[in-house]
Amino acid sequence: MITVKDLIAKIYSGEMKSADFVKECFDRIKKIDSKVKAFLKLNEENSLKQAEKFDKNIGCPQRGMLEGVPIAIKDNIMVKGESMTSASKYLENYISPYDATVIEKLKVAGAILIGRTNMDEFAMGGSTETSFYQRTANPWNIEYIPGGSSGGSAAAVSSGMVPLALGSDTGGSIRQPASFCGIVGYKPSYGLISRYGACALASSFDQIGIFSKTVADSALLASVISGSDYRDPVCQPKDHVDYTHDLDNNYTLKTAKIGIPKQLLDYEVDQEITKCFRNSVNKLKSICADVVEIDIPAYKYVPALYKTIMCAEVSANIATFDGVRYGYRCPNGKNLSDEYAKSRAESLGYEVKKRILFGTYVLGAKNYHRCYHQAQKVRTLLINQITNAYNGCNFIFSPATLQMPVKFGDNLSEECDIFLTAANLVGLPGISVPCSFTNSGMPIGVHFMGPRFSDEKMFQVAHAFEKISNFDTHRYPQV
Amino acid sequence: MDDYEVVVGLEVHMQINTKAKVFCECSTQFGAAPNMNTCVICTSQPGAIPILNKRAVEAIVKTGLALNFTINKQCMFSRKQYFYPDVPKNYQITQAEPPLCSKGKLTVIVDGKEKVINITRIHLEEDAGKLIHEVGNRKLDYSLLDLNRASVGLMELVTEPDINSPEEALGFLTELKSIVEYLDTSKCSMEEGKMRCDVNVSIRPRGQRELGTRVEIKNMNSMAGVRDAIAYEVKRQKAVVESGGDIVQETRLWQAQEGITKSMRSKESAMDYRYFPEPDLVPFDLPDAFIENVRKQIPELPKIRKARFIRDYGLSEYDADYLTSMKMIADYYEKALNILKDKSADNLSTRKLLANWISTELSARLNTAKISIMESPVTSQNLAELIFLIFNGTISGKIAKTIFEEMYEKSANPESIIKEKGLTQISDELVIIKICEEAIAESQKAVLEFKSGKERALGAIIGLVMKKSKGQANPQIVNKILLEKLKK
Repeated sequence: MITVKDLIAKIYSGEMKSADFVKECFDRIKKIDSKVKAFLKLNEENSLKQAEKFDKNIGCPQRGMLEGVPIAIKDNIMVKGESMTSASKYLENYISPYDATVIEKLKVAGAILIGRTNMDEFAMGGSTETSFYQRTANPWNIEYIPGGSSGGSAAAVSSGMVPLALGSDTGGSIRQPASFCGIVGYKPSYGLISRYGACALASSFDQIGIFSKTVADSALLASVISGSDYRDPVCQPKDHVDYTHDLDNNYTLKTAKIGIPKQLLDYEVDQEITKCFRNSVNKLKSICADVVEIDIPAYKYVPALYKTIMCAEVSANIATFDGVRYGYRCPNGKNLSDEYAKSRAESLGYEVKKRILFGTYVLGAKNYHRCYHQAQKVRTLLINQITNAYNGCNFIFSPATLQMPVKFGDNLSEECDIFLTAANLVGLPGISVPCSFTNSGMPIGVHFMGPRFSDEKMFQVAHAFEKISNFDTHRYPQV
Repeated sequence: MDDYEVVVGLEVHMQINTKAKVFCECSTQFGAAPNMNTCVICTSQPGAIPILNKRAVEAIVKTGLALNFTINKQCMFSRKQYFYPDVPKNYQITQAEPPLCSKGKLTVIVDGKEKVINITRIHLEEDAGKLIHEVGNRKLDYSLLDLNRASVGLMELVTEPDINSPEEALGFLTELKSIVEYLDTSKCSMEEGKMRCDVNVSIRPRGQRELGTRVEIKNMNSMAGVRDAIAYEVKRQKAVVESGGDIVQETRLWQAQEGITKSMRSKESAMDYRYFPEPDLVPFDLPDAFIENVRKQIPELPKIRKARFIRDYGLSEYDADYLTSMKMIADYYEKALNILKDKSADNLSTRKLLANWISTELSARLNTAKISIMESPVTSQNLAELIFLIFNGTISGKIAKTIFEEMYEKSANPESIIKEKGLTQISDELVIIKICEEAIAESQKAVLEFKSGKERALGAIIGLVMKKSKGQANPQIVNKILLEKLKK
């Protein structure tokens, strides 16, 4: 599959028809998705119609930035008139009454929304196994998890079923599966892309983000969907930015100091990941200004403080799913509280219930100060330490995950995603970029994290790294 | 009665008078068809995010400034969590610490004595929707949900337990309502549910320092109801204590028709609302310029306006009190007065006359029709014209009443009615003499009585003259002529 950048050039020059490309995508989906199970729903008929319409209008002066380009959407983003399940039984029959801001922007840009991808229920999980509907496989080895929670989007892009996908990232939910599936995963700075229309998990950390084969394609899509939005009060980025404009400028990396957290040594990191990471650091050394060690002792608190704040917000956000106005309602509730209890008990999964219980506990009057408030204080500590670290470096570089994907049913360690989750806790942009394969043919990724709203420079650095990593972006898994 | 001290604190919720709801752009219009004023935000669809209506913040700051509050510049919100179908998110967005306004006060006058009631706080929150359990008289075996009211902005005001009688509570609410209506920050109608008041009542033996167990009373739908509920509750608590019982901390509902409170739930298992900071609304600081700008919008408040009416217009305490009880009445009065000024007819007697007409004739008609002075068919312009015609002698006060009725019915100006009905006052002495002579001839008995010294008998003869002249004869001239004729 070609990159989106090339695809657009070919569609515009008339060398390739959008309809042919979209058809190719659906052919591949039909061929392999019975094994991968990345998609929950497909929009074949409409997508082809739309593509044909674009092909007819070629040469029309007012073209969108993504005219005729197919994209997959994680099933927790609202598309008007389409179902939105968040992979939960609760929302099995829910139809979105409105478009998310990112969807509005995609439609204006002319993108073709080909289908909805599987995920962990309400994005709670790191393996896509908590989906009520199906289990998505890692295309590089279908006995392994694709990661999560946006596992469907990652698997779809990685296996060449679609060149672009949207996901959401609350604690690593884009960058971790992107790394497990060997593609680029981008989480913007908190407040760069509107959250309006993305089903909330933990409002303080949620961001919509991007899966693509290359950094350039992520930068392109980011240029389309970012921008301020009065409907999301936390979304206040500066003027509209074209992240592709200066992407090839190597200056950023040449002058950049790359910080490597000392705390990496505190964890048991997969050997192949360590090897690949060292290799990447050596490559970086040859092209950037300096590689320095940085010290962020609060990394060790990341799992606990993330869990505490995230679950607290989950317990409130998920409360709205009560069976009263929409969603699953138990048919035989005896009274109001019985109906509430049964509707939720019968439609929410184990992981969701566990988080609601934990969040309810940490916000209880007796525990608030000891748990929730304490976690917020530790979060401030982490923010201060990372802010300080940026006095000595421009980007923080780490392995994306500390572990390789596991087989279905096996658990990842609690620390696996800490370098990703830190970005959510502090509101920073992060991008995971594939760098090589293990001996058994599984991809490995690395992660760049920049200061808040340094997204443009982060793209430049990641793009430059991508070029020297020798990772073959044309290699696709044989499913 | 005097062995116990009554201690009352009030929690007043007032719907903020803004066009749009506080966390979405839906209309706040009262009386719309069920669920017409709703959107993805106030029905809590997935992915929806609240957007703060800054006008609501402005309204609260304005109210706070008028009531001598300290304004907390840091504006932040919390989620108060509880499950109930009229709260679509199953949490209410409200303010914990700090509220927008801290430590205010209001001076009320009860039985001629001034008393300062301290107010703890005013904060911003969203209203809940409405559950409907019956249609007409038919009780439903299910409930209907109307979310028109959900997410309408509320200001919640909490007083210190400074209120010591039912009358003080009523005085507080009356004064508060009057000020808030002047500010136009809430419509304050308890009948429409735009103002709601819960009270905490306790009693303690006089001289005791610690407070007694408090009982919360809800469900009052008028200000008089608040007073009556407190009075009843005080009586009930005294009876319990005097018969050796203990007051239970609980919530009771006021039953207006029976005039009693009934236990709703005991507070033994206190609710844990699991408050935490609202992550969707970024805390922000109110700029000083914003607060100063709001301060400039505060109009002359009722007490000051009343004092000015007495001082500058020479009105009685009673008239000034009535006119300034509502901003729109005072505005109406001053508008009419300006018209009299333009006609160079602004003097003590017209000012008093105008005040009188507003507080008696006009208010009686408006009260019967249950409409406000803003909607009055008699405009301030037309009422001023009427007063002017009385002042310059064109019509008598009596005819003015007839004309006023017509003006009210037809929303017409007085001149046109006078023309149409030929109601101009008769001041021509020759015409009046003729009528007086007729009247004297027909009232022999009264004439005899008058001549024998019973001066009151004159009234009957004047009455007859007025009747014969259809009220148009100038009463001063009639009086003069009759006296001349009878004393001959």
